[in-house]
Amino acid sequence: MRTVVEVVARRGPGGRTVLPVMRASGQLAVRRTGAASVHLVATAFGPLGGDDAEIRLVVEEGARLSVHTVAAAVVLPQRGASPPSRQAVRAEVAGTLDLAPEPTVVTARATHEADLLVQLGPDGALNATEQVLLGRTEEEPGRWTGTTRVERASRPLLHTTVGLGPGAPAWLPPVAPRAYVSTLRLYGDAPPGVVTGDDAVRLPLPGGWVATAWGAELHEAAARLAAVTAPAGELVAAATGLVPSHR
Amino acid sequence: MALAALLTLADSRLPAGGHTHSGGVEQAIATGVVTDAASLAAFLRRRLATSGAVAAGLAAAACRAVDDADPAAALSCLDAEADARTPSPALQAASRQQGRGLVRVGGRAWPHPAWAAVPPRPHHPVALGVAAAAGGLGPADAATAAAYLAVSGPATAAQRLLAMDPITVAAITARLAPEVDEAASGSAAELPAAADPLLDLLAEVHAARKDRFFAS
Repeated sequence: MRTVVEVVARRGPGGRTVLPVMRASGQLAVRRTGAASVHLVATAFGPLGGDDAEIRLVVEEGARLSVHTVAAAVVLPQRGASPPSRQAVRAEVAGTLDLAPEPTVVTARATHEADLLVQLGPDGALNATEQVLLGRTEEEPGRWTGTTRVERASRPLLHTTVGLGPGAPAWLPPVAPRAYVSTLRLYGDAPPGVVTGDDAVRLPLPGGWVATAWGAELHEAAARLAAVTAPAGELVAAATGLVPSHR
Repeated sequence: MALAALLTLADSRLPAGGHTHSGGVEQAIATGVVTDAASLAAFLRRRLATSGAVAAGLAAAACRAVDDADPAAALSCLDAEADARTPSPALQAASRQQGRGLVRVGGRAWPHPAWAAVPPRPHHPVALGVAAAAGGLGPADAATAAAYLAVSGPATAAQRLLAMDPITVAAITARLAPEVDEAASGSAAELPAAADPLLDLLAEVHAARKDRFFAS
């Protein structure tokens, strides 16, 4: 099934954010849940193998938008040889966009492709989190491939494709984690240094950073991510295992 | 195709500085990810399918960019694409060091007007693509050299660090040949972005060490 969501956030009178466009078709509904926030609500089971969702977001200059989901997305395979399900988020951001969906759980035999393509304006700011769990409890892991490309003024800031699950290139024993989390933060401030932790790393980007962590369970990966993204003073105490570095 | 030029480009004796880099193997050994022949093969396969594929795509594109109407602009764009695919500062530095080393030797070995279009301190795959073009090779050859170098250097580093049997390590590298060809042909027409956060983490922990043997 094809799903399309479109949201446009605009700076309105008094600096408040207005949403002149807010529509959805297919398997997602969109609800305004705050002054500058929307929740995407799944109206059907899935996503199921073969489903295709496109989420188009425009955040105009001076506007803010937070996008959430109400529950984890549980990706299920079709019967037999299941085609991948896809979700693409395409965002043009001149204001501030916060993408904070609930985790994606890719069940056994399912394959999910998630794209995040962002064009940032000169003052555009982005905070995007991703949480992936391969397989439900006691279940074989599914496959997940996530591509992130962010450009500012047509210059690429980050372009990575992470493949997880059986058969994926960067998912080979002894490092083949079921849980993966990442946060990309581009607020235009000076990039901080590198921080390394236990199965977690934060890397500087022009105007921000990207942090990634992994583990056997989501809560474990999330705690490792928090350990490398906490304010600088707390980092040394929080990191365990590998020696943290600040460069 | 100038076959001998391809052999020269992929030869570890080409003094482009590759021998001072372990491609993450030194830290993989330190953390216990690589301990023996089997875990080395897994590590090399992982590296080939991620940073090897990315390097192959960029090298092929850089080789093609030499014939672009504005090669300097095209190579500069590719260098920015390489940066976006290499968020780890340690891996960026390693790539640029080897790129500079290759420009130094390549410019003397294969004089060509394209060298003037190479950005200062280019990423290694960008320099490799230009070296291939200057040596009379095509994009597919550049991709193959990049994919091969993604495993051959780290394999040698592992041999030295673990005092492994050279024949065992040579066999591991040789048996990866079909996968090297696959990574090269699969990447030659596009710019893959396959990333491995584990390699980023290993590279950064390694760069912060005072007692390392290899530069990366």
